[in-house]
Amino acid sequence: MNGTKSPQDWMNDWQALQQQYWTAWSDATRGVVQPPTMNTPWQDGLEQWSKLFGNSGKQTETADRLISSAKNYVALMQSLLGAAAGKMPQGFAVPNWTDALRTGFNMPGMDATFRNNPFGKIFGDMRGPGLQGFGQLPPNFAPFLDQMKKEGLSWLHAPAFGFARERQEHYQKMAASFVEFQDALGRYNGLMLKSSQRSFEIFEGKLGEHDEPGRQIDSMRALYDVWVDAAEEAYAEIALSDEFRKVYGDVVNSQMRVRQAIQQEVERMSTDFGMPTRSELNSVHKRLHDLRREIRNGRSAESSKEIDELREEVRELKRAMAMREKAPAPPPPKPAATIPTPAPAKRARPPRTAAAARVVNPVEHIKATRSQKKRPSRKPVPKRATAERSHKRSASVHEHAPLSFADAINAMRLAAARKSGKRTSAAARMSIAVKSSKAVTRKRRRGARSR
Amino acid sequence: MDPIRIDPRRAIDEATKFNEKLAAGLKTLRTLDDVDFGVTDREEIYREDKLVLYRFKGADKPTSKVPLLIVYALVNRPYMVDLQDDRSLVKHLLALGEDVYIIDWGYPDQSDRYLTLDDYINGYIKRCVDVVAKRHKVEKINLLGICQGGSFSLCFASIYPQKVEHLIAMVTPVDFHTKDNMLSHWTRGIDVDLFIDTLGNVPADLMNWCYLTLKPVRLFQQKYVGLVDILDDKTELENFLRMEKWIFDSPDQAGEAFRQFIKDFYQGNKLIEGGLKIGDKEVDLKKITMPVLNIFAEQDHLVPPSASRPLKKAIGTDDYTELAFKGGHIGIYVSGRAQREVPSAIHDWLGKR
Repeated sequence: MNGTKSPQDWMNDWQALQQQYWTAWSDATRGVVQPPTMNTPWQDGLEQWSKLFGNSGKQTETADRLISSAKNYVALMQSLLGAAAGKMPQGFAVPNWTDALRTGFNMPGMDATFRNNPFGKIFGDMRGPGLQGFGQLPPNFAPFLDQMKKEGLSWLHAPAFGFARERQEHYQKMAASFVEFQDALGRYNGLMLKSSQRSFEIFEGKLGEHDEPGRQIDSMRALYDVWVDAAEEAYAEIALSDEFRKVYGDVVNSQMRVRQAIQQEVERMSTDFGMPTRSELNSVHKRLHDLRREIRNGRSAESSKEIDELREEVRELKRAMAMREKAPAPPPPKPAATIPTPAPAKRARPPRTAAAARVVNPVEHIKATRSQKKRPSRKPVPKRATAERSHKRSASVHEHAPLSFADAINAMRLAAARKSGKRTSAAARMSIAVKSSKAVTRKRRRGARSR
Repeated sequence: MDPIRIDPRRAIDEATKFNEKLAAGLKTLRTLDDVDFGVTDREEIYREDKLVLYRFKGADKPTSKVPLLIVYALVNRPYMVDLQDDRSLVKHLLALGEDVYIIDWGYPDQSDRYLTLDDYINGYIKRCVDVVAKRHKVEKINLLGICQGGSFSLCFASIYPQKVEHLIAMVTPVDFHTKDNMLSHWTRGIDVDLFIDTLGNVPADLMNWCYLTLKPVRLFQQKYVGLVDILDDKTELENFLRMEKWIFDSPDQAGEAFRQFIKDFYQGNKLIEGGLKIGDKEVDLKKITMPVLNIFAEQDHLVPPSASRPLKKAIGTDDYTELAFKGGHIGIYVSGRAQREVPSAIHDWLGKR
């Protein structure tokens, strides 16, 4: 890198090289980007490019991230080469590459708080579709924050009173949370700056590892990669410290407090406009979820027992039905005497098992099973003819149709209804059984009598 | 000797070429359609809420008698295991004769914010395991848990050891309090109750940001500078975009499940230290008595090997095997080395038992 040229020669060379860069850039973009003046920052070409094509075509998000990173990279290259060419009369042998590197991150026009703070800049760039950092509050919070600044900050510690007391207190609380958040964010950015400074120290150390022949860095990319390693190392040191954990927690927690205060404000406004609020929706979601859980997994102890009992009965019924299907069909009616009688077929034996016995009439079986169970005796209620007719009609349907799961359930309900003598419509039998309080039952009966 | 030996003309040449590639590549990038993923044919077996259980279909009939169910993490989409034709853990497992199922958790919305870990582990996973077992007329199936899904699989295998034949934990955090676990370190200062009460579900954008900030310069800058090198290669560019899509295609996290996961796993470290309950069921890793294969990545920045290795001493089986993969958290599914090493390691391990 050392040469025998004069400083002016080097400057001329550097300017020629810059010109060469811009001409190449203009060619690459087929004239869309015009070569600017010699000392224009290189990343400006990319800036122009992204303005021209920023929102067109596909893969916009990836293209945006690519341009953002490329801008940082070319700024770094220009800074390193410019520093080498402009400052040192010996040519490109720069004694302090770290300073040149540091300058490379201070892109013209960037936020002053990110000066000498590449981490701050990178974190500032990390936003957009698919990304939302803790340091950012959603842009649509802005009106509420403006209102808070008007009403809250000016009266931050003043006692609230009068008809607007609650409102003022709310804005004071929001303002206090916001101040707390800003403070935490400041400490967080301070740690990012510390990471940046530390990254330059580590970078210098890493350069020392390359001063032997054969290990020298000979390209801009290799130099950049060394810095990336140094930066990540520095960041990890800070990010794993107890101080960082505390500050990180403070940023997140204080931001959540600000968000909560804004959410409360939005809720208040939504209520005024008669719109559903987040709390109301949460309440609905919670109830829905609990119901879903009860149905799927949990079930209440009471319904669980009932379902288990029903399942057991259905199982028995199914078993019985299966046995009935296996049993041979009853013999045909005796033919007239003139027709010769065939040899007697093997008679179907009467069912041996209790399950098989149940096949004959599942409904009767359920009744029998239930009557065996010890239950408090009830006053017999006279059966009503209409109910009886209804039962008979239903039963006849089930006698011919194959007994399905639903049939079995219906049969059981029918049996239960017949037993209690209550009048039940088909619709009522289909509905889920619910327990009624005695008072409600009495009332219903009275109503039925009066009808 | 000066550690830097950069020829200025070469440097300008480098910068010029960088710009040329960038300008040409950006045009190519803008013309590329959305990339597709999930190459292996699959059939839907079971659906519940937003969850779908799929069975992958291989070219040949599976030779394995016991099906393998992949339980992926909630924080990313499961198609990472079947990203593209030449990067598919699933495809290789099928080719080796495994019968592979996977749970796709879907994208939770606000109506799912009250889903708990009980719902996920004792509900969804259990029902999926039962469905698979019933289809194959077996009592136990093989489980392959990945990342957070690995932690869930450990809980499941501990609660229902009678349902798991073999357990494979892949890049699975077990000890959440090791010194190099940056994510865990950060979560311990967060008031997770305030966090969930405020946000409801945890937005995917926030999760993405959090992951990128684990290695901000490498993941948000160097990666894209490197992209310029492959901008003129359509295939490589599509591979990059596929990965990029996966990284940013993150579901929101159901609030209550997230609350418990952070509290009990990240903050309380109860999975290994004890006292963890999923619903009304206690998780005791000593009850994991089936054979266990633990695969972790040596350069994993999300789940460092130190977080996975303690599984060995925590479980109640002597049949424990460890596989340290040379790569990172993502490379373990998609790198060329992963394609060569991981599926065959799983298949061989299962075959020997």
